[in-house]
Parts: sequence; structure tokens; C-alpha cells
Amino acid sequence: MVLLWQVLANGILLGGLYALMALGLALVWGVLNIVNLAHGAFIMLGAYVCYYLFTVFHVDPFAALPAAMVVLFVVGYSLQRNVLNLIIRAPMFNTLLLTFGFEVVLTNLAQMIFSADYRTINPSYAGANFNLFGATIPLARILAFTTGLLLTSCLWFFLLKARLGRAIRATAQNLIAARLYGVETRKIYAITFGLGAALAGAAGDLYGLVSQINPYIGGSLTAKSFAICIIGGLQNPLGVVVGGIFLGVVESLTALYLGPTYTDVASFGILVLVLVLRPTGLLGRTA
Amino acid sequence: MMRLIQLFSIAVVFIVSGSAFSETITLGASLQLTGPLANTGRYYRDGYEFAIAKINEKGGIKVGNVRYKLALKLLDNQSDISLSVRQYVQLLTEDKVNFLLGPYASNFALATSSVSEKYQVPMVQGGGASDQIFSRGYKYIFGTLPVASEYFSSTIAATEKFNPKPEKVALLFADDAFDVSVADGTRDILSKAGYKLVLDKRYAANTSDFNSLLSLIKESQADAILVAGHETEVLNFIRQAKSLNVSPKFYSFTVGVPTEDFRKALGKDADYAFGMTSWLPTAALKDSYFVNGEAFAKEYAARFGYDPDYHAASAVADVEAFAKAIEAAGTLDPSKVRDAIAHISFDSLYGHVQFSTAGQISLPQIMIQIQNGKLVPIYGQNGFINSPIYPMPSWDRR
Amino acid sequence: MNPSLRWFALFGTLAILVAVPWIAPATWVQFGISTLMLATLAQSWSIIGGYTGYASFGGSVFYGLGSYGTAIAMIEYHLPFGVGLILGALVAVTFAVLIGLPVLRLRGHYFAIATLALAQVVPAIVSNLDIAGRNIGLILPLLRNDALFYESALGLLVITTLSIWYISRSRFGFGLMAIRENEDAAAAMGVNTTLYKTLAFAIAALFSALSGGIHAYWITYIDPGGEFDITLNVKMIIMAVFGGPGSVLGPIAGAFLLSGVSEILSFKISSVASLFFGLVIVIAVVLMPRGLADLWHRYKKLGLHYFSENIRENRV
Repeated sequence: MVLLWQVLANGILLGGLYALMALGLALVWGVLNIVNLAHGAFIMLGAYVCYYLFTVFHVDPFAALPAAMVVLFVVGYSLQRNVLNLIIRAPMFNTLLLTFGFEVVLTNLAQMIFSADYRTINPSYAGANFNLFGATIPLARILAFTTGLLLTSCLWFFLLKARLGRAIRATAQNLIAARLYGVETRKIYAITFGLGAALAGAAGDLYGLVSQINPYIGGSLTAKSFAICIIGGLQNPLGVVVGGIFLGVVESLTALYLGPTYTDVASFGILVLVLVLRPTGLLGRTA
Repeated sequence: MMRLIQLFSIAVVFIVSGSAFSETITLGASLQLTGPLANTGRYYRDGYEFAIAKINEKGGIKVGNVRYKLALKLLDNQSDISLSVRQYVQLLTEDKVNFLLGPYASNFALATSSVSEKYQVPMVQGGGASDQIFSRGYKYIFGTLPVASEYFSSTIAATEKFNPKPEKVALLFADDAFDVSVADGTRDILSKAGYKLVLDKRYAANTSDFNSLLSLIKESQADAILVAGHETEVLNFIRQAKSLNVSPKFYSFTVGVPTEDFRKALGKDADYAFGMTSWLPTAALKDSYFVNGEAFAKEYAARFGYDPDYHAASAVADVEAFAKAIEAAGTLDPSKVRDAIAHISFDSLYGHVQFSTAGQISLPQIMIQIQNGKLVPIYGQNGFINSPIYPMPSWDRR
Repeated sequence: MNPSLRWFALFGTLAILVAVPWIAPATWVQFGISTLMLATLAQSWSIIGGYTGYASFGGSVFYGLGSYGTAIAMIEYHLPFGVGLILGALVAVTFAVLIGLPVLRLRGHYFAIATLALAQVVPAIVSNLDIAGRNIGLILPLLRNDALFYESALGLLVITTLSIWYISRSRFGFGLMAIRENEDAAAAMGVNTTLYKTLAFAIAALFSALSGGIHAYWITYIDPGGEFDITLNVKMIIMAVFGGPGSVLGPIAGAFLLSGVSEILSFKISSVASLFFGLVIVIAVVLMPRGLADLWHRYKKLGLHYFSENIRENRV
């Protein structure tokens, strides 16, 4: 019984981090209808920002979080403003291809600049843990989980209440009407993409705390983020949280009961099922 | 007139000294210089380059009455197996290299050795140890990494002398050719030694989350954990073991421990981990070109900026095997050189190089442990070399 | 170009391609085999993606199934290569029909994601099957006959292209294009959209699988990571899109051009090859989103304005 609780706890905490990873992708996808295949590369870059700040300037990863977000916001904004905006109205898979191109370029640049060596971020509390009803809870993971939930709520409020947030939603719903109201669409698109990248950067910063990083971690993280967005639904940030935790728990339980080589079968198998049976996701309204 | 004679004599000297090395033997290799495996690929690049430079320095290779120098043609396969296969074909057909040096990793060696077999040109590789490479009846592939299934044998032999002797063993292995071979062999060794295998789990390669497995291990109360996997997996495993407070009496890993950046990445968390290596840079390993293993390690570190490990030493052994074999064969004919390699037997900084009929080297693994950040050899062919720190202090008491 | 000149050019090129194993250096044969297979994949994507408008990211699934089907037939059951190819194709087509029925009901992004998910699930399942050698893979018998592989790949490409040519002129093809332009209208007009879509999906699967089967025997060692490689999907799509989706020869041109660029980069400046490839993709998608075929037709009229026109049409 304790084992089950431990594995569940592992899954929930992992899921929280997953949710944060997927948040940026969901924002850009849900609002701009851009499926960003370079999302994982943004996460990877965020992790490297954290690594360099920690190793060279001894900045704690949580303190480095805003820095990672700012850097990635700039990267995302520039990419959208200067490149992606050029093909927004082209057929959908052009954005898929373009963002794939970004992914290849960013990953290779990272490898050239940072080298393929794997890095670890090891603050003093990296291995700390405490006991909760018999399960060992790693401190770093629960901090990451809480930060993830915090950022998700901030995003939700922002989209709901803040002027810029509402402008973003307006642009998403009706491009022409938004323009008529004086919303500067090119800038809004760029800001939204930048925000998505910033959230990815935050996730990367925290990811570096729990796993080693290298230039190639992007690909599988993008795939997972996709799965979470679909499973949770793109209606609102809560969907991403639900999707993330669901995925984390499924992966942990599958590893326990079926075997660790079946985690991908489970996660992507569920993704296929959700798509076929309920494409708007667990939380979405049926179409 | 004087000027002309001077110029003429300079030209003559030039030509004559040039002809001292007028012939070249080119070794070709497709390595992972970029891509996810580049981290280890560079050991092979540096090992090959260093060995060739040293051999040339010492006069090159003598075939009959002609002195040859060695050259290296390297291509970057970007950690892509299909590209690697095509590059080996290019090396043979377009770049016209004489012989082939292998890539890193068993699956690469498996795929690319088909090229050497198809074209009947010998390939000596130091990057793949899995059984499948050598069980296809291929004649043109040789390997300087020892048999995968034997990796844990010295470790298990050592534990039999530990006090208190561990009883329950957990075995984890990654889902690839090499690690599955290791696991298959280890199961046999464990059962013969009378250990109880309480957990035997195969995990997907590139797994980054070991929490479920670690929870299972904790529940099984295993005294000893044996992990056959890749460096990044072992790294994540140890860090997560710390954060989940999993403290067995000892754990041992097939990779990572002998490698400098692995120990650096983990810092103090690396302490007490056991591992194995088929090579240690000792002065006892004499070499025709590098003096001995210790001298080689020092020169290598000075030249490349990082300490070599068994990957680099294995790469050097590959080049030396060719050098010795070509000289023994007295010709550059691929099939004759192939036969020479099959019968070769010499000592090198890597150990004694000799290949079985299947083409694989036989070297014992030395059990090592990280103590206070330093790599300490614990148990070798002749028993204990140093004292192990056993049992490992639990995480909360470090 | 006047029609008989066009035929002459076509047959001439084909004749040269057939002769390659005997007139060109061995590296060209290798390059040829791998590019011909990619061209076949690009063409098969074009059937479901270009003509029907369903952007599939699942080509790698059928390629891998064909590959494993052929390998298992040859290794476990000691069947000859040809029979293995047919079995591999059968497995893939059956899978395409079974999974196509539910998945093809999805539109746009969702269909793409579903196929992408399949591209992850299927190798994950295969890597757990003992008969497929789990994650370690399978070893096929060695055959020293690159000419055979080359001609098979070329033959397959020719058959695939002829099929596309035939489809593009047939009622079936018009039905597919109608589905692409407006599926609901097509259904209202009496097109059996489910049948047509599934058929297109199955045909695409067939050619991808045959390509995979040839690859397995050629490379002699297959594993899930290599045969179900996800980047293959992106490569297929880029080549088809670059060449001009919905055209008969476009994807072939795209495949040869992009492969050529990639191969040359890999061999000459290997360390930045991948980076350059990424940049090529970005530039191509921005400047010529309708592919080479479109470029070929409209460049004559517009010259360099062609590129700025594309951008103006597509940007926000």
C-alpha cells in the first residue's frame, strides 16, 4: 500500500512539472493555432540559462527562474515577429515545418555552443526529502510542482483579467474584429508566442533541477507536451494541469504494474484513444 | 651558379626526406561527433588521432622495405546509424581508405560491420561489446571491448568476500543490445554464486525518471543494486536515489564511474558508487609506442584537456592492432591483414590484445569505487587491490 | 515545354537512373538507394497529405511495419525476400485500414497529432515484442548485391509515381481533391468520403511499407529507433511540400534536392550539416511554401517578386 502511495506521489509531482512544460505549448496552440514543434528546444534553452546562472554566478534555480523566462520571451518574441509572422496565414502544416526547422537549428546551435556534454544543476537542497504518510517526497520536486501551479494560476488570471491578456484572447477568437478594435495583431502574436516560450523557459529551469540536461532533450519533451495538451484539452490552463498530472500518474503506475518499457505505450496509447473518442480532451466541451 | 646548386641540393634533400614517408595507409572511421552520443564519440576521435600521431612519430609502419605513415579520415555521423552505414561505404569506395576503425556503441557497430563484411575490409572497433556483433559468423569485424555478459563477474566475485555478504540483489538494465547482454550474463553469474534476485527489471533506454523503479527497489529491500545502462541514465538514477532516500548496502554501474565528467557532474553524490573498467592507467601496462598506460594518460590529459578512460584506451588499442597486424602480414591486402589481426597477440597500454575466433578481445573487468572523489581500484584478477568502503553510508548520514 | 521533348527528358532521366549501379561510383548507388526510398515516402505522403489534404505524420509507422514484416518473414519463417515484402505490405495495409477508420474522422491538427501519437505508440509496442527482437532489433542475412536494392527502390518509385499519375486523372483522384478542398461539400455531392480517405491512407501505407521492406534487407540490422524514426515523417513532408504537394513529379524533385543538399553537407562540412539543413527548411517554408513545382511555373512570370509575393500572401 505504501508502495502504491509512493508511486502515486511520484506521478503527481512529475505530472506537475509536465503540466508546466505543456502550458506554453497550450497557450500558443489554443490562442494562435500554431503547433510549435520547437517547444522542447525552448525548454532546453531555459534549462541551460539556469545552468549557467547557477554554475557561473551561483544563482539559485528558483531565483534564476525570472531570468530564464525573460531570455526565452525575447527569443520567442523575435522568432514570431521576424519569422513566424511571415507564414501565419499559410496552410497549417507550414507552421509545423517551420517550427521543426527552428527545432533543428536551435538544437544544433546549442550543441555547438554548449557541447554535447550533459550537465547537472546541483544546489545544496537537490537531494533533500521529507516523509509524508510513508512516502518519501523529494523537496526539489514539490517546490517545482508548487511553482508550476503558481505560474498556471498567474497565466489564467492574466488571460482573464489583464488588458493584454484579453487582447490576446480577442485576437484568437476573431482576428478581423480585433484589428477593427485597434489591437495590433502582429505585436499580439509576437507577445503570445514570447509568453509561450517564457513559460517553456520556466519549465526548463525547473527541469534542470530534477534531471540532467543536454542539447537533445527537446524532442521527447515536445512529444510529451503534445500529449498533455490533447489529453487535458486546450480550453483553459486547468486542462493542462489535469492533463499533466494524469500523464505523470499513468506513467508511474504503468512503470510499476506493466514494466518500465511500457510507459510510452501507455502515454501515447491514451493519447490516441482520447483523440479518437474525445478530441477536445478530458476537460473540453464536446464539439 | 652556387645559388642553383644550393637550390638543387635543397630540392634533393626535400625529395629524399619526403620519400622516407612517401606512402600512406589511411584508416577511416565514421564517429558520433555531433548528436546525443557525441559526448562519448569524442573519446574515440581523440584516441584514434593520438595513436596515429604517436605511431607516425615513432617511425610509422614498416611493410616490407617501405615505411608507411598512418593517416586518419574521420566523418561525423551525427549519431545517426543510417548515415554511419553510408559513410563507411563512402570511406571505402570514394575516399579509398585502406582499413576501418569502428564507431562507438553496439548498435552502430552491429549495423556498420555489415559494410566491412560486404566489402571484405577488416574493421577493428572499440565501442561495441554486445554478443550479437560477434555471433553472426562475420569474419571482418573485431572488437576491443570485452564480452558484455562478463561485465559484472569480478564485482560479484568481490562481493562474496564482503562482510556482511549482501543477500538480495536488484538488477536493472536498459533496453539495448549491450545492456541486455550484460543482464543475461549477470543473471547466470548471480545464480551460480547463490544470490537471490529480488528485482529484475528492464527499462526503456533514455529513461529519465527512475522514481517508480526506485520505489520498487526500496520496497524489495535489496542490499545490492546492479545497473546496466547509459551514463545519463545512471546519473539520473543516483540523483533520484538520493532524493528518494534509497540507500542499499552497495550499488554498481556498468558505465559512468570510470569517467571524469560523470564524477564531476555528481560531485559528492558520486561517492561510494562502484563500477568497473577494463582499463586503468597503470605503469604496468607497457606499450610499444606510448611507454606505458600511466604515461599515456598524462600525455593525453595534457594534449586534450581531460582524462582518458577505457573508451580512449580502447580506441588506441584498435589503431595499434592494425599497426601490428599490417607489419605482421607484410602487405596491405585486406584479407591477409584480416588474418593477421585474427592471430595477433601483443601487449599494449590497454592490456593484452588478442582476439577470439569470434573476433572479440578478452579482458577482465576491474572493480572500482569512487572514494572521496577519487577513483580507487578495488578488485582485480588477483583479488583485492584496495579496501572497499562497504556498506555504503545511507544518504541522510553523509 | 513541348510534350514530346518532355517525354524524352523523362525517359532519358529514367534510363540514366537505371544505369547508375554500372556507370556511377558506389557511393552514388548508396545515395541513390536511400534517396529513392525517401522519394517513394514523399510520394506516398503526397497521396494522403497532398491530394486528400490530410497531413499525416504516420508514414514512419507503415515504413517500420513493412520493414519489420519483411524482416520477421525472412528470419523467423525463412521466406524469400519477395514474399517478405508482400507480407510486410499486408501488415501495414491492414493496420492502415483498421486504424484509419477511427483516426480519419479527425480533421486538421487533430488528425496530425493522432498520427504523430501513433508514430510513438507503434515503435513502443514493437520494442516490447519478442518476435521483433524487442528494442535490440533483428539481424537479417547479408546480401552483397547493392544493384538489386537500387533497382528495387527505383522500380518501387516508378510504380508509386505511375499510381499517383493514374490517380490524379481518375475519378478517385478527383474525389480526393474534392475532399481536400471542402470535405462536407464533397460528401454532399455523393463522394463516399470514408471509403476514399481510407483507400488513400491504405495506398500510402502500401508504398511506404514496401520501401521499408527494401530498407530492412539492405541495411541488414533493424531496430525500433531506426525503422520507426519520427524524423522520417518530417523529412517526407518537407520533401513533398518542397517539391510541390499534389503534383506528380514534385515530391521526387523535392526528395532529390533536399537529400542531395543534406548528403553533400554531411560529407563535406559534417559538423554543421544538420544546422544548415534546419536553416534550409526555414528559408524554404518562408520563401516558397508552395514548393518547387509552383516556383517552376510562376518564377518565369514574377521573377524574384515570386518570393516577396509569397510572404505578402501569407503573413499577418
